[in-house]
Amino acid sequence: MSTATLEKTAPAKPKQKVILCEGNEAAALGVALARPDMVAVYPITPQSSLVEHVAKLIADGRMDADIVDAEGEHSVLSVLQGGALAGARTYTATCGPGLAFMFEPYFRTSGMRLPIVMTIVTRDGITPQSVWGGHQDAMTVREVGWVQMYCETVQEVLDTTVMAFRIAEHHDVMLPVNICLDGNYLSYGASRTELPDQADVDEFMGHKDVNWHVALDPLRPMAVDPLTGGSGGKGPSTFVRYRKGQCKGMQNALRVITEVHEEWAQKFGRSFSPLLEEYRLDDADYAIMTLGSMTGAAKDAIDEARDAGKRVGLIKLKTFSPFPVEALLKSLGKIQALGVVDRSVGFRWNCGPMFQETMGALYRLGRHVPAMSFIGGLAGADLTTAHFHRVIDATEQLLSNPAPIEPVWLNEND
Amino acid sequence: MGRSFNTIAFDPAKCDGCGDCMSACARVKFDSDDTSRSLIQILARENANTKGISPGAGSSFELALCRQCGDPKCVTVCPAGALTKNNETGVIDWDGSRCVDCLLCTIGCTYAGISLDEATGRVSKCDTCDGNPACVPACPHDALKYITTSNIYNEVGDWEDLFAPGLAGCQGCNTELLMRHTLRRVGPDTVLATPPGCVPGMGSVGFNGTTGTKVPVFHPLLTNTAAMLAGVKRQYKRVGREITALAIAGDGGASDVGFQSLSGAAERGEQMLFMVVDNEGYMNTGMQRSSCTPYGAWTSTTPVGKAEEGQKAVAQGKTQDAKNMPLIMVNHRCDYVATASTAYMEDLYEKLDKAIAASRTGFAYLHVYSPCTTGWRFPTDQNMEVARKAVETNFVMLWEYTPEQGLHFTKPVDQPLPVTEYLKAMGRFRHLSPEQIAHIQGKVEENRRMVEKLAEQVHGG
Amino acid sequence: MEQTQYLIVGSSHAALEAITAIRMHDTDGSITLVTRDPHLPYSPTVLPYVVSGRSAPENVYLRDAAFFDENKVSYRPGVALKALHTARNVAELADGSEIGYAKVVLATGAAPAIPPIPGIDKVDYHVLRTLEDAKRLNAAMKKSQRAVVLGAGLVGMHAAENLVKAGANVTIVEMSAQLTSGYFDATAARLIEEAFTANGAKIRTSSQVTWLAADGDDIVLTLGDGTTLNADLLLVATGVRPELDYLKDSGVACDKGILVDDRMRTSVANVWAAGDCAQARGFFDDAQVMNAILPDAAVQGRIAGMAMAGDPGVADYVGGVPLNTYHFFGRHAISVGSSKVPDGGVERTRFDEASGRHLKLIMKDGRLLGIYGVNEFFDAGVMAQLIVRRTDLSAVQDRLFEQPLTVGRELMSQIWR
Repeated sequence: MSTATLEKTAPAKPKQKVILCEGNEAAALGVALARPDMVAVYPITPQSSLVEHVAKLIADGRMDADIVDAEGEHSVLSVLQGGALAGARTYTATCGPGLAFMFEPYFRTSGMRLPIVMTIVTRDGITPQSVWGGHQDAMTVREVGWVQMYCETVQEVLDTTVMAFRIAEHHDVMLPVNICLDGNYLSYGASRTELPDQADVDEFMGHKDVNWHVALDPLRPMAVDPLTGGSGGKGPSTFVRYRKGQCKGMQNALRVITEVHEEWAQKFGRSFSPLLEEYRLDDADYAIMTLGSMTGAAKDAIDEARDAGKRVGLIKLKTFSPFPVEALLKSLGKIQALGVVDRSVGFRWNCGPMFQETMGALYRLGRHVPAMSFIGGLAGADLTTAHFHRVIDATEQLLSNPAPIEPVWLNEND
Repeated sequence: MGRSFNTIAFDPAKCDGCGDCMSACARVKFDSDDTSRSLIQILARENANTKGISPGAGSSFELALCRQCGDPKCVTVCPAGALTKNNETGVIDWDGSRCVDCLLCTIGCTYAGISLDEATGRVSKCDTCDGNPACVPACPHDALKYITTSNIYNEVGDWEDLFAPGLAGCQGCNTELLMRHTLRRVGPDTVLATPPGCVPGMGSVGFNGTTGTKVPVFHPLLTNTAAMLAGVKRQYKRVGREITALAIAGDGGASDVGFQSLSGAAERGEQMLFMVVDNEGYMNTGMQRSSCTPYGAWTSTTPVGKAEEGQKAVAQGKTQDAKNMPLIMVNHRCDYVATASTAYMEDLYEKLDKAIAASRTGFAYLHVYSPCTTGWRFPTDQNMEVARKAVETNFVMLWEYTPEQGLHFTKPVDQPLPVTEYLKAMGRFRHLSPEQIAHIQGKVEENRRMVEKLAEQVHGG
Repeated sequence: MEQTQYLIVGSSHAALEAITAIRMHDTDGSITLVTRDPHLPYSPTVLPYVVSGRSAPENVYLRDAAFFDENKVSYRPGVALKALHTARNVAELADGSEIGYAKVVLATGAAPAIPPIPGIDKVDYHVLRTLEDAKRLNAAMKKSQRAVVLGAGLVGMHAAENLVKAGANVTIVEMSAQLTSGYFDATAARLIEEAFTANGAKIRTSSQVTWLAADGDDIVLTLGDGTTLNADLLLVATGVRPELDYLKDSGVACDKGILVDDRMRTSVANVWAAGDCAQARGFFDDAQVMNAILPDAAVQGRIAGMAMAGDPGVADYVGGVPLNTYHFFGRHAISVGSSKVPDGGVERTRFDEASGRHLKLIMKDGRLLGIYGVNEFFDAGVMAQLIVRRTDLSAVQDRLFEQPLTVGRELMSQIWR
């Protein structure tokens, strides 16, 4: 599905208020539009201004939600789990060490199929100490059953935040959703933003029904999370049923994410590629692959390279979990070589995590596409067009030379 | 079926044979000074070394008194329908207008509870003075008590047991008793959290799709019970539905790894009843120590060291004192904090009622000492005795706290037994040296002084 | 045909206890009670007091109708059991109807034993076993001037005292040499006799009636020694025996009564018997005895009910222990246990003429076998326990003899309190 197609069918935009805001405020405004019942917060850089905005919206009476100032991220998510089991639409945000501290309930959320929405204002992982952006936090928890979508712009943050609730609460999905927005670059970067009308969003959101499948409700008592497993009886099969269901929900999410993005585009006149975006790819010989806010600079570099006669295109991933293998294979089928830029590190494979995942998808292509890994933008480092020209040039080499095993560390000598 | 009734209890250890109870009875019932007419008879026991009679078991005074039997033989042998078990009061009522003075009832009774009053030629028996027995207050030694806990049985017996039958607790498990009583009291409009430990371990949350309770129940993490429950309660509050948010948690989950979420929820005044079942360790996972394990106690992670010959063992049980959780919770200024024991069910029920009420407006914390037959190593039939000895030695103190009323003892023990009376009741303290016992006795007294001070301060100020 | 899980025949102590016991274990199994008596349940033991007027007939019932509703019992008074067809588990009733049962307990009690005195069928005499008997005797007593009581058991003695107090000239005729034999020892019997004599009654022990004839409204009794007595009221109280005609061809083994084992089971598997109709093991010598006393009826009824319902708490019958209490002219007599002094046994008695206090203890090997008292109160229930528990009293027997009340209570509170 290309952006162009969506734009053609998009109706006239409804009247929307235009504001100037940063990514953290946009996320807060998106949350307010989605009308959650419960928000739990604990501050951490660079997420803090997001929850401050939420707290202020609630204090100002512009958002009707119960705010829980919990004593830590572990409790933040735990409170929301309780709320969701009682039927609440729930939201929070965190990053880095907060996400690490939250991991115990975080792992559980998808197993209980609770449609909690959480923004990760991405931050690099300690140690060494750093309060700056990077995808290491979100990447580290990519394998525990949350849907994860990365945003490129402030507007996309706002719009995706609203859509995230629809996706999470879809009966075919029932999984928690992370909206990942780049710490520093998106969180504090201010841009022109269109603010949808509340009534339109209400219509878009429809009826809330978050605990139809699992509930803590005296009117329909059940045991939530009974002990399972063991070698006898229904133990193993019960556990397998849970796990298989989670995987199915993840695969359903690929379809639902696409449908919700289409509906959003229809209603609000703004379309975002739901799973991945191809940029100048159709006639490209090779491509680079990006994630999140770095994509803007990367697109500029592509344009410049095109101007210089290079047949290069770009693939930007939005939905990282579930990994959109089919969609990616279609894009990869168009090219002969690939450079993947990660903003985090995969320690085990000595490459970026997105590179590693893409290599997995490439196996299914049935054709060898040489690819190499670039790691950049760690700990808040800027990724400029200059960096992406290095990426484009190195990737172009793959058309005639073997791919290097070692990753390229883009900011190593900045 | 069946009801329970109030009863007069006699503690022979406290009786010195003064006969004041008999004087009071004879006076009230017959306006007489003749204590032989008293319906309660204190008997001096002489040393009858008959086989089967335990020699010198403490006291030399015994009692003959109508026991108001549940299945009264005096009633079954009365030919005149003059004796009936009163199903309201539990008293065996005697109807003098029907009685034909045949004395057959004295054959039926094997307890000398109904006998001939020679002054009238008729039988006489205790009627508990219509629920206000004159003998009880007349006793200057507290040897007679009018036990009114029957209402617990009667009331609670009518409430639904909301746990499934056949939970897989250890034989003689105190926690199961506590859980069942608590949930009966709290009732069906409850959401129950049972973090990992004995409570879910015995099946409260069920296995593989079954459930162990008839109320919504969940298995939080060991670390997040208070937080999850807070979320549940808040959402119901938001939509205007009244539920009781109840946690039944072990001491490990509350005092160690779960302490942060507990403290946070208490500080925020989350509306819930958080009950800690304190069996002083991680009993479900194999009896490891927790921060509530008392000094000197054997656990599987505070073993009793056995040195090689010529060497010195390094440790003999736990080497630190227990964390005093309930006092810590007092310092959160919770709406209600109390300690309780299943050996004092009436006290427990009163506190449960207050805690439930407090959980409607704020955080209620109930810390219940729960002896563990398996982990503490005592016979399965000794649970109540161990629980009682803990209180009688002041090892455990029963008190309650509210911000308005402050802290006060509910079962003050002013003349405590030496702590050895408690320690010797179980195997986990068997190895203690005199120095260790002295340490524990010292801590008991120190704790007592501390709680006393708190009680004085709040009342004084 | 009506079917019931538990059929109870009879409605006095044994039957009522059986119902209670069944309902403690089986709350739902159907219970049907049939009884010959048309009244609500009452005790034969209370009848002398109805005779005397002390108890109003409408005030002696042991249970009200609600009891049967509460216990889900189909209650059918006024219809006797005619035959028990054990081969097909059916009870045939006097009204011709039939009830099928899974289990049945026979608690049909006993009826007055009428001695085969020539002419007895020609005279109008009284017996005392039913409420109707009691009312009739009460009415007759008020008009009686010359009454004869045949039999000096407790029923006869009670009635005789009532007649004396009503102003009649009363003669008690007893075949054996002692009044109340089988209930009380010779000393007690002497005290009883003296009390009656002092109040104007005539006692003729070792006397038999050889012939009875009517003479107008009077009855003429001819005794073995040729003496004749004229009576305007004759009460025949020469004991009771069960009427077991309904068991003819049933296969249920009977001797003097229905033979039962220690769970009150008869020779037929799903048939139990309890109370005065049953012949169960005695406590003292293991022989099958008739122990037609109220406390035993209650115990047996309870055991039968538990056994029928399959209550695992049922325990074996300890055996019948004679237990009696008796009031006469303001005094009381109590007997517990055996009156026989076995080989090696010891009898200890004390008697105080002034107070009329009499006590007798029978012991063997330090164990209590029997205790008898007149005007000496002790807790009979406690003494019965000492007997059935075979408690070794060697160390306390002197004190027990001196103060049976106090020492009995001491022992009670130490042993089973």
